[in-house]
Amino acid sequence: MALILLRRPYGWEPMDLLIQIIFGLLAALIIGAAMMVVTVRNVIHAALWLIASFFAVAALYLTLEAEFIAIVQVLVYVGAISILILFAIMLTRSSEGERLLTKHWWAAALISLGLFGAVLLPTLIGHTWNIPLPTGPVDAPETLSGVEDIGRGFVNEFVIHFEVAGILLTVALIGAIVIAFEERSRRRRVLTLSEEHILRQRQQATAERVSAVADAAD
Amino acid sequence: MQDVVNQVINTSFGWGWPSWAIALIGYLIVAALLFGIAPFQMLFLTLYERRAIARMQDRIGPNRVGPEGMFQPLADGVKIFTKEDIVPTAADQWVHFIAPCVVVAPTMFMFAVLPWGPGMVPVDMNLGLLFFFAISSVSAVGLMMAGWASSNKFALVGAMRAVAQMVSYEIPAVLSLLAIVLVTGSLSIVELINYQGGLFISTRDVASVPDWGLGWFIFSPVGFLAFIAFFIAALAEGERTPFDIPEADSEIVAGYMTEYSGMKFGLFYLAQYVLNFLLCAITSIIFFGGWQGPGVGWLYAQAITPVNPQGGWVFNVLAGVLGVFYFLTKTYGFFFVMVWIRGAYARLRIDQLMDFGWKFLIPLTLVNIFSAAIWVGLTKWGAADGLAFVEGWSPLVRWAAAFGVTLALNLGAYLFLARIFAQSQDERARQDDDVLEQLTNVA
Amino acid sequence: MTTETQHGSVIVMDRRRGKLRAGQGLLQGLRVVWDHWAGSFRKNDNFSKIHGTFTVEYPEERLPMPQAYRNMPVLLFDDESGHELCTGCYQCQRICPPQVIHITQAKDPVTGKMVPAATEFIIEYDACMSCGFCAEVCPFDSIKMDHVYELSTANRASLTMRKAQLNRSISYYTGIAPGLWAEVQAGAMKKLQGSIKRRPDVIGLAASLTEKIKARRLELAAAAAAAPAAAAVSAPAAPAAPAAKLTPEEKAAKLAAMKAANANKGAAPAPAEAPVALSPADAKAAKLAAIKAANANKGAAPAPAEAPVALSPADAKAAKLAAIKAANAAKQAEAAPVSVETAVATAPLDAKAARLAAIKAANAAKLAAEQGNNE
Repeated sequence: MALILLRRPYGWEPMDLLIQIIFGLLAALIIGAAMMVVTVRNVIHAALWLIASFFAVAALYLTLEAEFIAIVQVLVYVGAISILILFAIMLTRSSEGERLLTKHWWAAALISLGLFGAVLLPTLIGHTWNIPLPTGPVDAPETLSGVEDIGRGFVNEFVIHFEVAGILLTVALIGAIVIAFEERSRRRRVLTLSEEHILRQRQQATAERVSAVADAAD
Repeated sequence: MQDVVNQVINTSFGWGWPSWAIALIGYLIVAALLFGIAPFQMLFLTLYERRAIARMQDRIGPNRVGPEGMFQPLADGVKIFTKEDIVPTAADQWVHFIAPCVVVAPTMFMFAVLPWGPGMVPVDMNLGLLFFFAISSVSAVGLMMAGWASSNKFALVGAMRAVAQMVSYEIPAVLSLLAIVLVTGSLSIVELINYQGGLFISTRDVASVPDWGLGWFIFSPVGFLAFIAFFIAALAEGERTPFDIPEADSEIVAGYMTEYSGMKFGLFYLAQYVLNFLLCAITSIIFFGGWQGPGVGWLYAQAITPVNPQGGWVFNVLAGVLGVFYFLTKTYGFFFVMVWIRGAYARLRIDQLMDFGWKFLIPLTLVNIFSAAIWVGLTKWGAADGLAFVEGWSPLVRWAAAFGVTLALNLGAYLFLARIFAQSQDERARQDDDVLEQLTNVA
Repeated sequence: MTTETQHGSVIVMDRRRGKLRAGQGLLQGLRVVWDHWAGSFRKNDNFSKIHGTFTVEYPEERLPMPQAYRNMPVLLFDDESGHELCTGCYQCQRICPPQVIHITQAKDPVTGKMVPAATEFIIEYDACMSCGFCAEVCPFDSIKMDHVYELSTANRASLTMRKAQLNRSISYYTGIAPGLWAEVQAGAMKKLQGSIKRRPDVIGLAASLTEKIKARRLELAAAAAAAPAAAAVSAPAAPAAPAAKLTPEEKAAKLAAMKAANANKGAAPAPAEAPVALSPADAKAAKLAAIKAANANKGAAPAPAEAPVALSPADAKAAKLAAIKAANAAKQAEAAPVSVETAVATAPLDAKAARLAAIKAANAAKLAAEQGNNE
């Protein structure tokens, strides 16, 4: 999957510039949104910023012509995960929180920076800068079909992983259906109005029966 | 569009503009057209719905403003624009403000991959179908924002319901589409439509069938079951009766829209109707061939296309007009069905909705995916794929076999699941009764 | 399927119940709605079917109002004479729950006495609640409930209706509620005749009927011209003269005339049954005579007080004649009950009273005549 290619469909310099500008904007949005996620005090706002960040990442994938990944990013992260996060936040706790900083926050900052550097430094050192851009007219762009490539990968190289993941997901789905079929009486629930009405009627009927029996005994 | 722009600018005027500028102009024109068309036709969808539902209730409906009430939606629009915009003091100002935009934007995005006629698609995306549904799930975020930011309990409950409903009905919708995707082997919406040429039988299944543009998926058992499941899921997705639980006005005022007024409310309204239109459109595209219909294929074959540069432009116009006519007829037909269903059924309770989705639709669509696999195997596979016994059959026999097997499977699954579902409902009623009986005896 | 009952036809829907397969009930629901949709392209006007639109497109078509529909009270006037039925009796003003009726009683410009008519009659439509009590209580059937319901206006003050705006002709009312008017017509018209007699000048005429008013003024002028004696005197005009007290005799004469009329009324039913009967025409004549006698007396009354020669000989003669006629009628009336065995017990009494009255009337008339002659 040649996802990283900045393909130039019309072989024209301004197109590159445009894509770089868009990339810069998106990168700024991603970083800014991510910063907001950790600095903002309202948890819901943090979740919303996170969604914005997810969305910008999807757009970034699009600039890389990785349509499938971009769309799946939207479908899974924006459409599902973020909803899950929002649900979880709303159902569990109040949205406003105190900012908690330990005395040793600088130690935490140092450690995380160090770890990040440990990942980044080798990459930076081993990178060759200033690769000359391909010049001249670009030949007919190779057809990129993310889905087909991914599909072939799944059923050839990664067939075991794919099968396991597929079975897991199907089991989860069927499990959800089975849980949905669970007997209702096991769950505590509030009676509906009509049920309450029927209950009252029945209770009255029982009371009358009891009193009738008592009368008969007298 | 771009070739037309290119023709005009570079050939007629001879300005020699760069191709990226041509592309930009082309996309801008298309986007402007779509942004004009979407709200405009949404206005008339409201009138259409009101008139249709009125007739179903033995009334006449709005017919005062203009001939047959033609300008009623415009009057409504003027009204909604001039209304005061009220933001509750307790609301989260910014989120409250952004939410309607987040709800409307995805619906506009979805137009990007919608083919209106032969060769008339804004972006022929390889993954059009996936894009369509991925983007539609974004509006759930907007609903959540609206519900939460209003700081109103009705709004929050409505948003919760809306999101729960959308998330659970996306599964049967996508699963039923998965069956179709299996059959076509492509996620492109244009390809999906091209697949549906033929007469009752798709030309891709049996090549000898005449191409009348009628080889729709609805005519195959797989497609039919997928259509039923998808349309029900689409009703839930578009929050149409009987699945209008998120905005059930008798229970929670207007759901997540409770605290909105003026044009912000109008935006929610717009998003809803545009989404309904899009769902009808996608239903007609996937199961009823979109612009496919008698004559369009032949006309388009004579037109100027990348394949056939020597065509006549008259055929372009004719094919386009006929194709758009077929497409819109089908789409508005489905919108009528939506209204019809609204006229016929009462609103479901939230637990009934979940029961129906999880216990009936999802198992049914799972079975349908299995049927689709059988269909693909029987119509397309050969000895190379490990299905040697079909090798000697003629395409028609293979199609007939696939039809019979999938029909039996789907029908059996439907009857079986319907019985199981009915039994579970009866069982539930019995248990409710038991609970009441116990409570009675306790008292 | 319709079933006829004594209250009308009952429509029983065939709900096609029976054994349902899975999903069939949903399809049946769709079928029902479809039938309604397909049937809605024609109008359902007789309401015996369940399909077809029921809408009445209001500004173009309107439902006929039932006669007893009531919205906003109006005042009636008689088309022929132009006289309003209202006498200004204040009954409606008293009963009005929101107190939106305001009446000014008419007064005789000459004598300053109350006249059975209203000079002004105001109803505040904006506060009226259309309860219909005023129409219910009106003893002269003058106030009636209208059928208008399009009263919306941008100006609240325009809903304060004055008499000119409230006036409706009887023909208008018979147009909207013929049955209701037929019930009360006889009584109302009779009462109206009574009121008209007691209305001097143009008081009580509907202000909008300018021709009627003009005609009435002409008539009055002619009547005034016909009284030369009155014109001859230095006094401006006889009716304009200050009213004098009636002498006891004149009072008695008036009373007698009325009594005579009453007696005739009482006697009238008797002849209908009797073989030897007073013809209705005779009774009428008697009545007329009594009234004339009374009128003559009235006319004579102010004359002696003011003008030296007030009563013309012709008048006196007429009065005499009338008195005689009245007496005859009374006599006849007396004779009637005697000849009939089945006559009611009260008849002789009435007859006696009538005779007495007639005699008194005759005497009074004679006296008046003599007085006139003497003067």
